[in-house]
Amino acid sequence: MTLLRTLCFLSIISAGNAAAQSLSPGESGNQVEPARFVSATNNNGPTEADRLTLGMWVTAGNVTTYTIGNSWNDWVLWLVYDKLREPSPYVGNSQDWLATRIEQISDDARVWEIELREGVRWHDGRPFTAEDVAFTFEYYREGPPNRWTHHASSVPRMVGIEVVDEMTVRLTAENPMPNFDRITAADLPIIQRAQWEGVEAPREFAEIGIGTGPYRLVEYEADRFYRFEANDDYWRGAPVVKNLDLVMIKDPQTMFTALKTGEIDGAARPVPPELVLEWQDEPDLEMISAPTLWGAWLHLNEQVPPFDDRDLRRAVTLAVDPAPMLDRIMLGQGKPGTHAWPHVDSFWTDPDLTAPYDPAEAAGILEAKGYIDTDGDGMREGPDGTAFTLDMKIASNQPLFLRAAEMVSAQLAEVGLRTDVESIDPASLAALWRGGDFQMRIADITPHGIADQDMMIILYRGDIRREPTVDEEKAEIVERWLAAETREDRLAVSYELQRYQTEYPNRVMLWYPESTFAYRWEAFDNYVPSAGYGIFHKYSFLPESAREGVADPMIPPGN
Amino acid sequence: MPWLRTVAAYAAVFALALTINFALPRIAPGDPLSFLLPEDVLAEMTPEDEARVLAEFGLDRPIPVQFADYAAGIVTGDLGVSVTYGAPVWDVVIGRLPWTLLLMGWALALSTILGTALGVMAARRRGEMGDIGATVLVLAVGSAPVFWVAMLLITLFAANLGWLPSYGAVPLMAREGSAEWILGVAQRTILPVTALTIAQTAGVWLTARASMAVALSRDYVTFARAKGVPERGVFWRHALRNAILPIYTNATIGLGGLLGGALVVETVFSWPGIGQLVVQGVEARDYNLLQGVFLVATLAVIAANLLADLTYPLLDPRVRR
Repeated sequence: MTLLRTLCFLSIISAGNAAAQSLSPGESGNQVEPARFVSATNNNGPTEADRLTLGMWVTAGNVTTYTIGNSWNDWVLWLVYDKLREPSPYVGNSQDWLATRIEQISDDARVWEIELREGVRWHDGRPFTAEDVAFTFEYYREGPPNRWTHHASSVPRMVGIEVVDEMTVRLTAENPMPNFDRITAADLPIIQRAQWEGVEAPREFAEIGIGTGPYRLVEYEADRFYRFEANDDYWRGAPVVKNLDLVMIKDPQTMFTALKTGEIDGAARPVPPELVLEWQDEPDLEMISAPTLWGAWLHLNEQVPPFDDRDLRRAVTLAVDPAPMLDRIMLGQGKPGTHAWPHVDSFWTDPDLTAPYDPAEAAGILEAKGYIDTDGDGMREGPDGTAFTLDMKIASNQPLFLRAAEMVSAQLAEVGLRTDVESIDPASLAALWRGGDFQMRIADITPHGIADQDMMIILYRGDIRREPTVDEEKAEIVERWLAAETREDRLAVSYELQRYQTEYPNRVMLWYPESTFAYRWEAFDNYVPSAGYGIFHKYSFLPESAREGVADPMIPPGN
Repeated sequence: MPWLRTVAAYAAVFALALTINFALPRIAPGDPLSFLLPEDVLAEMTPEDEARVLAEFGLDRPIPVQFADYAAGIVTGDLGVSVTYGAPVWDVVIGRLPWTLLLMGWALALSTILGTALGVMAARRRGEMGDIGATVLVLAVGSAPVFWVAMLLITLFAANLGWLPSYGAVPLMAREGSAEWILGVAQRTILPVTALTIAQTAGVWLTARASMAVALSRDYVTFARAKGVPERGVFWRHALRNAILPIYTNATIGLGGLLGGALVVETVFSWPGIGQLVVQGVEARDYNLLQGVFLVATLAVIAANLLADLTYPLLDPRVRR
């Protein structure tokens, strides 16, 4: 058995190396690491189930694209909805799903044609056609914004949406979109024209969302429970779990207690680092560490002094060492933020990207800018000679960030910068962020923000719009990125932007957490990892044949 | 016409409370946008985009117009739509009321009975070792944070002993109203009610002990004893009947708080009550939902006070004069 495991592991590694040697255009060679089995014992539990009860912690409204908007619970949406390609924009090799062909038509990558899968039906029995896909793009371009509308209204912005025939759609964008098949097609949920046409206030729309996905929502109370039943006519194969009950448990301790006592069969939120160590020998539970591509970062607000000066941002970056934070805060479970933004495992991340740690250079920059300790108390005064304190905000529901804030504060004190850490309620912090009324804050960032290359540009454009003085160098790189017509050109400009960001960052990566998920193996023991989603997602509940290309490899126990 | 004055006073209080209920959520920093959309989407949104989303909930209109709508809604029963739940606020609130009443009602009844009984007994032995020990114990337990007590109960009775469920109010799989369902609800009620009872008993205990001690030191008690009334009669008929008034006041005020929910306990136990709605409403800056919850709580407090006003004369003949 050990030999078999070792062979499996070696085959995974060698497959990874082979992939790295034969890169597709637009790929950097960085790869999502295989998931890892964490528990001491790998049991052989059932691979099918009649009913599973899973704990969730963020409400999903009536499971539409307007009531789900975060990576905390988007997996619930994907139970009901499908995309043109799957699993996600976070991996470079997504597979055709609702589409059977996505082809670039024009040399400048502005025009693409999509051929759709025949025989797919919506949950209400209506056939899925090109009209639905065209409507989805039109609705997202013209309607109220949500988490996915940028794929039609911003980056990229569609200027032509044409139904060629019943199963073919042609899209034309304002700017080139050489990665349309990898990003937009692999992220945009397709909604049903018949249900959404004429809906002007989609967040007040109370009907249950109709999708083409493997599960139907049959009953829910928004912050109590959701009942899904399998769509046995699912075009890719009937789900192996026939009924899914999701129960809302906001308190993390209560959720993990419920898992331990058997009240729920799985907890769809990462197990805290200290509990991972404690549960490794728990006989009823199994744990898998699966890539979710999240990150924690220190945000420097370039809208206000002193961080409107990019040299000050650089000084702070040089003074912050993310390496010890991983050990002390995450107990070593993850990767340090020394690789900067985007996520270290993204397929479009510059492999040579490194955020330097050099307190001496940081001190030099501060001296040159006039931040000098004039009263001999070990802390620098501002250029005008007055006391200088940086404020740092964190959300009160994030105890890990409080520890991180203390460490950042201590590191900045080493170069003579005084900080004032304040913990406030999340909604108030969000208001400060939107108003630009802060200097520093620590926040987490989802794969949508850290591993989706279109979002990097969207965030940059947002930054540029808010900056009091436009940074011409950065704006020029963004414009070149938007004009790039090939995957290779996009990647090259993306590298430039990543290097620029590393030198003059406004977001300093602290760590990329390793997300470990726990479940009761006697209830169901057939979970598979998928990058960006962990193990709780629709692919875990599909038959083996339907998982091909959307589930990631996993290192077996003992390796 | 004193009753007219009373009605006018209550009407004024109600109007003031409604205004505060409207203003409070809006005074807090932020708006529902941060809940509705993730940060990476908000980052690029223009003010026009933001206004478009807020317009879906009527939040782009001037504050006086929103207030007029809110006031009209109270009259017509239309409290608007909850941002969080995408459903009429009234439906959401009504759906939660029975669960909050179950939880808070049991906790109020148990803490009142227990606190009163223990407090009265302690007053009888005031200054003795038993009284001092009980005081220390009650104050220590009563001052423990309720979330901590709740977590201890979960750890002990759910995780370690496995006697009781750790979360929720109903067994999801049982048919509503069946014996299994009723048993499941009863099991799930025990731990949150225990946590709340522990938290509330100390206050009742202190009130009962103090008011009973005062009553026992009054002249009418001395007179009763001098008259030769047996000690049992002195205690139960003369002292306790007088000492019961502050306890009754506490209990009726507690009745008003019944519909306010228990924010912390409901969150820890994932109890589907009004308290969770408040937490969710604050997190999402769901103005309509908070207004609806506060309206119900306001009505309950006013009703409880009215009840106290009306029933007090039955207990205290001096008020009748």
